[in-house]
This record gives sequence, structure tokens and C-alpha cells, in this order.
Amino acid sequence: MSATAQTAAGNLSMRLRRRVAAWAKRRQGEDRLPFAVSSRRVYILPTRGGVAFAGLLLVMLLAGLNYSNSMAMLITFLLAGFGLIAMHLCHRNLVGTVVRAVGTVDAFAGEHARLFVTLENAADSTRIGLECSTDDSELVLVDVRPDATARADIAIALPRRGRFPIERIRLSTAFPFGLFRAWTWVHVPLSVIGWPVPRGRREPPPEATTGGQALSVVRSGDEEWAGLREFRDGDSPRQVAWATYARGRGLMVKTYESPAAHHRIFDFAHLPGTDVEQRLEQMSAWIVAAHARGERYGVRIDGRELPPDSGNEHRARCLKGLALHGSGESW
Amino acid sequence: MVTTPDRGSIAAALVYGASVLLVVGSAPAWCVALGLGGCAWRILTASGRIARPKPFRGLRFLLGAITAILVFAVAASFRTLNGLAAGTALLVVMGALKVLEARSRRDDAIVVAVGLFLLLAAALGGQALWRAVLYLFVICGACAAFALIAHPGSALTARAALRLSVRALAMSIPLALACFMFFPRISGQFWTLQQGGMATTGLTDEMSPGSISELATEYDPAFRVRFVGEPPRRAALYWRGPVLNEFDGFTWRRAGPWVYRAAPLDMLGDPVRYRVTLEPTNQRWMFALDTVATSPRRGVFMSHDRQLTAAEPITSVVSYDAVSHLETRSTGPMTGLGRDYETRLPEDRNPRTLALAREMRARAGSDAAYVRAVLDWFRSNGLEYTLEPGTTSIDSVDTTLFDSKRGFCGHFASAYATMMRAAGVPARIVTGYLGGEWNPVGGYYIVRQSEAHAWTEVWLDGQGWTRVDPTAVVAPERLQRGVYDMLANSLPATSTYLHNTGWLNRITLLWDGLNQWWQERVVEFNLRAQFDLLRELGIDSPGWEHLGWAFALGMVLWIAWVALTLRRGVARVKPDRIGRAWLRATRKLAKVAPARTASEGPLDYAQRIAAARPDLAAPVQALAVQYARLRFGPAANAADVTSLEREVRRLAV
Repeated sequence: MSATAQTAAGNLSMRLRRRVAAWAKRRQGEDRLPFAVSSRRVYILPTRGGVAFAGLLLVMLLAGLNYSNSMAMLITFLLAGFGLIAMHLCHRNLVGTVVRAVGTVDAFAGEHARLFVTLENAADSTRIGLECSTDDSELVLVDVRPDATARADIAIALPRRGRFPIERIRLSTAFPFGLFRAWTWVHVPLSVIGWPVPRGRREPPPEATTGGQALSVVRSGDEEWAGLREFRDGDSPRQVAWATYARGRGLMVKTYESPAAHHRIFDFAHLPGTDVEQRLEQMSAWIVAAHARGERYGVRIDGRELPPDSGNEHRARCLKGLALHGSGESW
Repeated sequence: MVTTPDRGSIAAALVYGASVLLVVGSAPAWCVALGLGGCAWRILTASGRIARPKPFRGLRFLLGAITAILVFAVAASFRTLNGLAAGTALLVVMGALKVLEARSRRDDAIVVAVGLFLLLAAALGGQALWRAVLYLFVICGACAAFALIAHPGSALTARAALRLSVRALAMSIPLALACFMFFPRISGQFWTLQQGGMATTGLTDEMSPGSISELATEYDPAFRVRFVGEPPRRAALYWRGPVLNEFDGFTWRRAGPWVYRAAPLDMLGDPVRYRVTLEPTNQRWMFALDTVATSPRRGVFMSHDRQLTAAEPITSVVSYDAVSHLETRSTGPMTGLGRDYETRLPEDRNPRTLALAREMRARAGSDAAYVRAVLDWFRSNGLEYTLEPGTTSIDSVDTTLFDSKRGFCGHFASAYATMMRAAGVPARIVTGYLGGEWNPVGGYYIVRQSEAHAWTEVWLDGQGWTRVDPTAVVAPERLQRGVYDMLANSLPATSTYLHNTGWLNRITLLWDGLNQWWQERVVEFNLRAQFDLLRELGIDSPGWEHLGWAFALGMVLWIAWVALTLRRGVARVKPDRIGRAWLRATRKLAKVAPARTASEGPLDYAQRIAAARPDLAAPVQALAVQYARLRFGPAANAADVTSLEREVRRLAV
């Protein structure tokens, strides 16, 4: 009976939270970074400690009134004013904070993905105790010095493989006295991906050899200059050949070519077995092993192929492909 | 293992310890010791100087048992738990236990809250100005402790926390004052607590030889008086206290509840109006200028001999307005009972005095002549006014008049009244204070214990009770000067030094003036004072609704002020130097083509400009490339930024 009631109450509060979240999102709309937190979108409520503090003040007021004790009244009023100032200070600690950038780092299922929130402080005093969190993460505290940035590193639990959207980021603060908490919601389209856990003992497919042809815009060591190509969406401005552009030859990107090397292709379709998850985990294990050995490898899955390459970015791209298998999402 | 000091816990323990110190005196010593011990333990463990024992099984049970024992101990020592003193002791003990077991941030916050409750208890116990200063320190500490508890391990330093608290409290002072003045008060109580016991000070209802001189060595104020209008001359400042009318040959006492009907009294001359602020004495006597017209307030009893008595012992500072007349007359006769009572004297004591009195009365023709004759005798008989009259005998009056010939006011008053009574003239002793120290800072008189005085009143038919002060003929300058000026050698060196060193005395008077202001304007501020204030502000018949409006107005003004003061910078992303230069360029180019949209990159924008104004194509394109390289390329150096700014300046449209 009581358990049912509890669940009902839980459901109610959950539904209420969802309604409030939807309302806040409708009210604020999608955010475009960077932006400064404006006072219109900062919400503030007393904390549990703040409510207790108000109770203490009420007792003091009653005692002062009862005994016509001026000292008790003065102390009460002074502390009441202090409480209201605390509210303003708390609000002010959040308003004007610049959310400069957000970024995510995916991880294996069962581990924690990371959400980075870069905050900037344009005010002339340190913003202390800014808290970042998502709906189901812990609070992460950062202090941002004046005219500086600080990065909050939020761990997001990945219960299983797949994409986990981050509906919103909560930016809050209970500074300075912990009597009030001001918060705001940041709505940025963001998600983290849980890769399949690397697990399985099958032998990887044998190596093949190809001529060097992988073009990369990143120069990571033994690659050689391979010429310029047209700028495409997604290319980093750091790779743009500005000198070429200045000569009026359009926007070009510098590319590099790796020397000829051995590589392996991990093909999902060729992997025996019926359990999809197990096969994905096996693929994941191969990728992790190949990456650890510094080998070049490619992945073929869902009718798409990632050509052989190496490096952290390549590994993340491959694992992402595995993670999104069956989700119907294009990647 | 190295533990970093937990600043929040240390701050909480310090606040608690400081507030325990505030209630020293009202809480028993063992409670205070326990509280300070707990505070020290917490500071040592939180700073890592002492390893704290690991929680063990049964710890909760042990703490529960200790709690029960301590509550019982408090209840046993006060015989109640209802009462300010008992409640304070209980708070101290509970706080000590909480400090000992505190582990979480929440526990620390509770410790601070206990400290604030102790502060409340201290405020209910004492409201003096110096205490207010201490309270303020504790409040600042408590606020800083809240900040430190809320932000463990952050960039918030203890100094910054304190500065924030002081600033927040300073900003709340206007609100506190507005609330204080206009928050509607109530008169009367809805819950009473018993007040704790305190020592008895000041005059009592007994006077033995030497009891007044003991009091005269004390420098503490007995009360302060602010006159409405011109104060009377100093020699007329006889402050009436306990009236004594029973003599056993050595000690004068006040008779019990015995009252005879007093003859009606005519008040002569102009009334003198004044306000007395009486220090607590734990006795019931209240003092007023001779002779008070009516009881100054409800609950104060005025007896047939015009002595004021409160219903309860005075344990906190009280103020009352009184009206007195410096001259009175009773034309009616004294009742036989009264005459009989006011002339009683032990026949077997002070034989020489009694003999002298009867002889002198026989020589004098009337009571009035006798009164003058005895005063002349006092004047001419070589009596010496001193604080140290030496030893006395059981026939104390004989010793004073014939053997030692030395005495203080009490000795002379006692001797004079004895001589009157011996000759059948009704006489009584009035104890009180004579004179007072004028405080030019505050414009009021401080009457100190050292001004304690005793004089006599004799009954003369057709005139009534008449004040006769034998000290005034023995040492006439006593009327003009205080004991501290006259008998400095016999008084404690410290108080004499304080009194006679000019600048020190000025500081003392200044401080006293501040305290008196605090007492009159702050401590005694009540509903009546609120209405008076509203009247001064021009509201003729002030009521609660006016208080409410004034309160609301104050609130609104304050909130507006705070909001304006605390608004920080403009909440916008501020562009840096590169961004500002580019913005200037686009502003220049706004005449050429529609403004750059948010999604348009610098290079696209440059192309659009080139299409509109081919002559500008080259410089704008160069500028856009330069900007894009600095903005998105490898880190820009200062020289590049300066060159970009120069190019923007050169751009002519």
C-alpha cells in the first residue's frame, strides 16, 4: 500500500519535473554557444539550509516580540536583511557567466562518458562554487577567476551501448552562504555514446597490404605532404592554407598521406554468431587491441565502410559506428 | 595521513565557542567548560592535529546516554528546564554534543545555528552596548562560517568569506533599521520564562554604621537621570530611596508592611519632570527626586513615606518617567499612632545621647528651635566627615558624638534622628543618593553608588516632614561636590584615577553617553516609541496600518537599492581586441552593404562586399583573411593584432 503510494508520488514528481523541464525549454529555446547567462533565465529558491535559517529567524522574531527585546529584534532584522542580500549575491554569481563551449568524450558502456562545460568569467571578481550537472549526474564544482575560463568535467554514466541524449545542462550555484541556490538550464543538442564493451576471444581477421592512400588533414608523425584539396564542411580552420587563400585561389586545406602499410578490415557481416551484442563486443575488442598495437584498421558495418586508418579519432569513429548499430541513425 | 584543515568545521566550532563565551555568567561553569572543551576538540580534530577516533558500534547509544545524563544534570541544577538560564545551559550542552559528533557539512551548519540560538539567549539576557559589539562579531563569524561550510575546497578563503559577510551585513543595516523602527511590535508577552538569580547591589532596607561608606567606595552607576527642561541646582538633588524608621540602637531598618495614615501633602512650587534609567539591583527599591508626586507607572507602589517599590526585584535596566516637587507641606496633624511609631527608641542604648537630647529639648522652646539647636551643636562640636570613622561600639551613636567624633553621612543621620526621637520629635532616616555627575555628552546626570547618602526627616507641626541633613552642616561642601572629589584618599586608587584624570574621565563620560543613548533609543524602543516616531513624521493619529505602510515602503526602497548596488557588469559576451577591430570594420562597411548576419563567415561577407563595391574588394578581402587567420588560426601574437587594428583604421569607405 505504502509502496504503491510511494511509487505514485515518485511518478507524480517525475511527471512534474518533466513538465517543468519542457516549460523551461519552451521558454528559453535552444541555446547557441557562446552565450552569457541572462538574469531572465536564472531561477532561484532557498536551499534546505535556507529554509532552516528562515525558521531560526522566525523563532528569534517571536522571542524578540514576546520580550520586547530590542537586541533580539535588531539581530533578527539584521540577519533577515543578510538573507535577502545572500539571495542577490547568489543570483549575481550566476548571471553573466559565459557558457563558452561544451564538448563530450564518449566511453565504453558501463563506464562514464565525459561532458566538458567551459565557463568564462568576464566580471572582475572570481565566481566561486559554480555547479554543473545534468539531470542524472553528480554536481561538479568549478571556480572561475576573473577574465578566465574554467572547465567542468562531468561524468555521465553509460548503462549500455548506444546514444544517450543530454537533454539539458544545469548550471547552478549556492554561493556565497548556501542559503539559496540559483540555477539555469542550458539547452544544447548534445549526446554521449556508449561504445560496446570490448569483450571476446576470437582471432582478428588477417592483415592485408595496400599502397599508401589514406589522406589525412592531421599531421601526426610520419605522414608526408600530399597537396591541397577543397575546403569541406567540418574541416578545422587551423588546417586552412591561408596563404593560398590570400593569393585568391579559394579556400584550400592541407592534406598529408601516410606511407604504405599493413591493415586489417573488421567486417561485422563476416563475424559468425547470432547474438548481435556479442558480435559488436568482439568487434570492439579487436579495435581496442589493434589500436593498442598501433595498427591500421578499418571497419565495415551496416553497409558502410571506414577505410583503414589509425589514431584516437579513427578509433572513436569506428567504435561509434558499432555503438549506433541498429539504431537506424546515420553516422 | 595528512588531512587538510576543514575550514568550515573550524569556523563553526569557533562561532559556537564564541557564543558560549557570551553566555558565561548565565550558564553554569561546568556547561561553559564542556562547551569550550567541545569547541577545542573540534578545532584540533578538524585541523588534523588530533586523529579523531573511528566511529564504533554503540557510539550512538553512548551519545544518547550522555545526552540523557547531561539533560538530567541541567534539570537538576536548575530544578526546571523552563527558564532562560536553564534553556541556555541546555543549549550549551546540546551544542557541545553536536560539536563532538559533527561529521558532515549539515552538522557544521547545525552547530552554527546553535551558536545563533545562544546569541539570542545572550541578547535576551543583556542588551548593553558593549555586548551589542560582541554580538556583531559573532554574527559576522556565523555568516562567514555559513559560506565556508557551503564551499569546502573552493577558492573561497576564510578572509574572503569574512569580507563577504561583513559586506552583506553592512548592506542589510538600512533594512534592519527600517524594520526596527517600523516593524509592528506588540505590547505584553505571550510566553514568560523565569529569570535567573543575580547578586544584590545598591542600597538595602537596612543601615548600620559603615554600610553607606562601603557603598560609597563603588564607582558603578546606580541610575541615570535626564531632566525635562532645566535641571534643579545640584544641592537639591536628594534622590529618595529606602526610608528607615526602626532603630535598635545600632541598625536602622525598614518596618514591615506596617502603614499608618499619612497626613495629606501639599505640593509646592513647579513640578520637576525627569526620566530615570535604573540599573538592575535585584531589589525592589526605585529612586525618585524628593518628593515624588505620584507613582510613575502601574505596578510601582508608593508608600505613605513616599518611597517607591516595584512589584518584582529589578533584574534588568528599567526606565520610568516621574514628576517631583522640591517643596512640600503637610498642614494636617500627625496621628497618634504615627507619632508614637516615629519616636520609638531603645531606652537602654546610647545613654549619653539620650541625656543630652532631653537636656537640649528642655532648653529649646519649641520643636523647631530644638531642630536648629541640635544642628548648631553638630556644627560646632568638631565632628569630622570621613569614610573611615574607626571602630564603633554597640552604643554607636554615643561613639560617634562623644568618643571618636568621626563619621560618614550614615553616622550623622543616625545620631541626629536618635537625638530627635529621644526628645519626642518624630524622625526617620532616608537613604538614597545625593547629587550626581553631569554628563555633558549626553545631557544627563549619572548617579553613582559613590553618591550614596543618608539624611533625616523630622516632623514639624504645621510644616510636615522636613528634610534635615546633618552632613550638610558637618561637611557643607558635600552638597556641591561628590565623595570622589572630597575623600579621594580613602577610595580605591583605580576609580579615583579614572575620575580625576581629565581625558580618561571624558572618555568614560563619552562611553557612558553612548550607552545611555543606546539604552534610551534602542533598548527601550517599543510600540509607544514607534507611534511617537510616526507623530514626528507628521502622522497625527498613528496606527498599525501606518507602521505597516512605512515598513513596506522601507522594504521596497531597500530592495531597489540593493538590486542597483549589486548589479554586476553587463551580462553580454564581451568581444576581445580582435573581435572589436572586426566589429569596427563591419560598422564602417554597413553603408556599403546590408550588415553581416550572425551565420555569415568573414570570407563570405568579404565576397558580398566585393560584389557591391568592386573598388573595396582588395582591401576588404585582405582584412577578412587577416581576421580569419587571427581568429581561427594558430594563436595570434600582439603585433598581428595591432596590424589588424591599423588596417581597420586605414579602411576608407
